Amino acid sequence: MSDALLEMREITKSFPGVLANDHVSLDLRPGEILALVGENGAGKTTLMKILYGLHRPDEGWIAVRGTRVSIRGPRDAIRRGIGMVHQHFMLFPPFTVLENIILGEESQTAGVLATARQSRQLSALMEENKLVVELGARVEDLSVGIQQRVEILKILFRGATILVFDEPTAVLTPQEVVELFRTFRAMKAQGRGIIFISHKLDEVLEIADRITVIRHGKVVETMDREGATKQRIASLMVGKPVLLEVERPQVTPGPTVLEVKDLVVRSPRGYDAVEGLSLSVHAGEIYGIAGVEGNGQSELVRAIAESAEVVSGDILLEGKSILEDGVRERREEGIAHIPEDRQKYGLLLPFSLAQNLTLGMHHKPPFATRLSIVNGKAIRESARRIIATFDIRTPSEETPANALSGGNQQKAVVAREMSANPKLLVASQPTRGVDIGATEFIHRQLVKARGEGKAVLLVSADLDELMALSDRIGIIFKGKIIKEIAHDQAVKDEVGLYMTGEKAHGAA
Amino acid sequence: MAQHRGRFGVYALEQSAPFIGFLASMAVLTLIIMGLGENPGKAFQGIFKFSISDAAKLAAILSISIPYYLSGLSIVIAFRAGVFNIGNEGQYFIGGMVGAIAGVYFPLPAFLHIPVVIIFSMLGGALWAFIPAILKAAKGISEVITTIMFNNIALALVNFLVNGPLSGLQKGTSLEPQMKKLLPTAMFGKLNGFFRSIGWNVPNYVYLDYSLIVAIIAGVAIWFLLFRTRQGFEIRAVGTSIDVSRYAGIRVNRVQIGAFMLSGAIAGLIGLQEIFAIRGFYTYNLASGLGFDGIAISLIAKNSPIGIIFSSALFAFLKQAGYGLQLFSKVPNSVTYAIQGIMILFIVAINEILIRAARSLRKKEVA
Repeated sequence: MSDALLEMREITKSFPGVLANDHVSLDLRPGEILALVGENGAGKTTLMKILYGLHRPDEGWIAVRGTRVSIRGPRDAIRRGIGMVHQHFMLFPPFTVLENIILGEESQTAGVLATARQSRQLSALMEENKLVVELGARVEDLSVGIQQRVEILKILFRGATILVFDEPTAVLTPQEVVELFRTFRAMKAQGRGIIFISHKLDEVLEIADRITVIRHGKVVETMDREGATKQRIASLMVGKPVLLEVERPQVTPGPTVLEVKDLVVRSPRGYDAVEGLSLSVHAGEIYGIAGVEGNGQSELVRAIAESAEVVSGDILLEGKSILEDGVRERREEGIAHIPEDRQKYGLLLPFSLAQNLTLGMHHKPPFATRLSIVNGKAIRESARRIIATFDIRTPSEETPANALSGGNQQKAVVAREMSANPKLLVASQPTRGVDIGATEFIHRQLVKARGEGKAVLLVSADLDELMALSDRIGIIFKGKIIKEIAHDQAVKDEVGLYMTGEKAHGAA
Repeated sequence: MAQHRGRFGVYALEQSAPFIGFLASMAVLTLIIMGLGENPGKAFQGIFKFSISDAAKLAAILSISIPYYLSGLSIVIAFRAGVFNIGNEGQYFIGGMVGAIAGVYFPLPAFLHIPVVIIFSMLGGALWAFIPAILKAAKGISEVITTIMFNNIALALVNFLVNGPLSGLQKGTSLEPQMKKLLPTAMFGKLNGFFRSIGWNVPNYVYLDYSLIVAIIAGVAIWFLLFRTRQGFEIRAVGTSIDVSRYAGIRVNRVQIGAFMLSGAIAGLIGLQEIFAIRGFYTYNLASGLGFDGIAISLIAKNSPIGIIFSSALFAFLKQAGYGLQLFSKVPNSVTYAIQGIMILFIVAINEILIRAARSLRKKEVA
């Protein structure tokens, strides 16, 4: 294996109570794209953190181009030619692209930044890797896809030959994914090696040369792309056969539950993020909202489920305006909300699971008496019922929420919102960062809600998810729904074109 | 059963920071005493004699811990709601004054007068918390800044009123600026006789007065509020995460304003003992710093209404220990304050370490 660019051998790492990596070995050849797949908590991130020097392994070793190396931190990793593109970009938004890239590597002539030479260097890199970015632009003005290019340029500029991408496509539009993969192929052609972490098996099968599946900290199998199927990878990841397709029984939509009329919402930053948006969702219907992040999705959700600042327009629930209502009233009127950032909004982490499962309903009988005394017994009983119905894995209902695994925390939030028996369920990125098993669970819940005659508003960055679940897809661009497409007419590439505004309303 | 015992061990570990911190700071004290060329044995004997050597000394500690407890309790409520009320010093001065006004000018029978002065003290404290609370809720102005400013305003206001319109100073009596003497019906009686009758020999010079009852009732009530009522749940939820609370439909502003004012109301009780039991009149020269001590008392006890029983007793003990140290050795009183600070640092730091240790032990248990 001396021709390998990178070898990781028998890497073992345990944290208190968890064996995150158990004798994991993998190798990466020059000019190869290796996909690393596994459920959340399978140990992918730990392995990559070890490679990047953020954790030290308990056992095992790493070799770069046949030489054993010890990596004590990101600096060491970069010196060895290992670069990482994180899910959350490490950029300074007010700085220009050039400044961001050369930060820490500035070359100087007599104390003055010599940027001309470095920009020439960068132009060459951009050319070779098909990564076009305007060097003088400010990062804060760039779209997420372009920011990612800046990240990639940053590590290429530092001479990376081994590049790790942690779910790089999660935030991209289909077109941006195509361009990212073009870059991947260009880098591959130069003999660089790429480790590609992803949940999206279609993408893995499209771009990877080999696929390593990790489960419970162990490598289950490494296979070539030829002969690999989605079904097989998914089953290896989960450890049992997985249903990839969601069954959507025929449901006849009922009356309109949610109606949004010419809505204008001001974002906290002071501009109108939603500009004259209209849509309606019927009972027994899943209405999906597709769009590049930052086109007003979050503000729309906040205007419906919370109380964001509405400038004009109206939001009607079963014909009644809810604009004047606070969050509590909206919940009582039948709006449930699976928030985008569940870590931040979903759970009171130090509180017991039981308390979390009644949160939002905690102020009403039977959970609190008319005299406002907390009824612990009712809370625990209700929690036990929800835990059983939704199969939340927990030692008991008294376990604090922060002792649960990430997947079970997600489940708890979904279970709570579903069990409130809402008329309208607003689900914002419900499967972001969720592994296959839990994704399947959440999808089934959304379809079940639809079957029970609830209206579901689904906002997701995952087009496959939207296309699989939605009865109608509305494409949001610059705060407006510019196109609505029925379930059976949705074509992924076309939706993608609308998302970037390349195709405008009526031009179809 | 073994697992149960294990869990208890982890719990005990989590709670042991105050003890370790106390011992560590006593070790530092020993070093300081030795550095000053004193005999640590003699010094500690002085501390012992003055603090816990007999029933009378213990009664004194109980007495001193009453205002400490109420001050800590006031902070507990605010901190649990995520409100950094640094203003209970000012709330205590204003609350005491409003209570004293009721005590001086309302001619009432005792059975009414005493509850009335207590309620007015609370109203005064709550009133002084109201403006910072509204500023925070409506305009997002940091309560840390406003309450500190309100402390200064309170002191200036009290100074002006007690020297001016409310002055009760009579010629030839005292030079201390003060209000008129309280009506006898507003004076708090002592419980010493009761304690003697149950076999605790509390000497007459120790004040175990009605404020002890007030503190007990307040403590139980706040505990019940926090842990047995929906409002308390919401207070704790808001203190844990404003984002989650808002998402869940909790009216965060209302909860914080309520907790803020309740904190002020309890702060208004801090002066009861000194004004209504010990002095018998309101003065600008009330013991200062009691409000600020409440922050440390609550912090050490992790904002627990039960925990502050012990931390306020600890503060009372340190106060007495300081007197003992001064009397029996040449260690200056400022050292006691330094030790108090060192102890708080130790406890908070050790607590953080122990919480992390306990967390990893628990994870092991779950896995």
